[in-house]
Amino acid sequence: MTQKSSFLTKLGQIVAVLLVTALFVSLGLWQLQRAADLKESLKVATAVDTNVVLLESITSPRQAIPPSALNRTVSITGKYIANFKAANQKDGNGVIQDWESALLQVGDSSAILVVRGLWSERLLNPDIAQSMDIQVEGLLVASQDGDRARNAPGEISRLDSAVVVSLTDLDLFDGYVVATSEATRNESLERTRVVPEKLQSRIPGFYWQHLSYVVIWWLMAAVVVFLPFYRRRVST
Amino acid sequence: MSGALKRFRVMAIIAGVMSLLLWFVDLPVVYLFNNDDWKSMVAWIPFVHGWIYAAYVLTALQFATKARWSLKKTVWLILAGTLPIASFAAERRVVRQYS
Repeated sequence: MTQKSSFLTKLGQIVAVLLVTALFVSLGLWQLQRAADLKESLKVATAVDTNVVLLESITSPRQAIPPSALNRTVSITGKYIANFKAANQKDGNGVIQDWESALLQVGDSSAILVVRGLWSERLLNPDIAQSMDIQVEGLLVASQDGDRARNAPGEISRLDSAVVVSLTDLDLFDGYVVATSEATRNESLERTRVVPEKLQSRIPGFYWQHLSYVVIWWLMAAVVVFLPFYRRRVST
Repeated sequence: MSGALKRFRVMAIIAGVMSLLLWFVDLPVVYLFNNDDWKSMVAWIPFVHGWIYAAYVLTALQFATKARWSLKKTVWLILAGTLPIASFAAERRVVRQYS
């Protein structure tokens, strides 16, 4: 009976060690996968694709923008339904200015933020009515993650659909489009276009961080395997 | 035993300081303030804390094994490294008992 319970205790210990080891190894593999994903997204994020594609063909509303859709040149047709001032935006040349952003309704039920140009030029096209269909071409970029200003009526703190989600019932696309051209059925709308901010990705830092977590998790897995032997050695 | 105790004490103090930095500097900066410069200045803290905590766990395991502590007590000692004050308290308790 004692032998049987001792065997069961040992078996339980072995199973527990194996389970904890498997858990730590899996956590290491998970961090390794995250590092690989980040490396892949960096590759995509630094390459600008100038081939024009339809927005709906590379991303969908109400879902995170896929890495493969970032920095693609997209074409969208829709109606502007609201304008916002996006203050303190830094462009690709490092110049900080206020930008005019607008919510473009695409189809019946979705919308996306579009950076039209400088806020100071917002009155250049007074003939644009909200019922007009506008064809926009521009660069699809990831939502900003840090506030540049305060949220106020008619003003958004950052270019991110999350900050306008409470203002509309439409399904919003993740990310925003920096317009390079706009046209109505009859004419193209001329104004100064902004150059998107150069990508200053912190992904390489996170990449090494993930790899270091892989080392830590696998070190812990090794410790769990080694510990029973160490305990035995210490007790003898 | 004294070597393991010394190693544990050193790591408990360092892990305690890193936990204080993590809880009272890094987390408030990341979640309460919207300042990218500050965020980049404190970005090293969780990274270093991760490694320090791993070293703390190793020294705690070695000490607990040599002191023939039960599994429950060992787990508490390991968890003490995650809270700002707990690792200092654990270090004091161990010193009182074994020095």
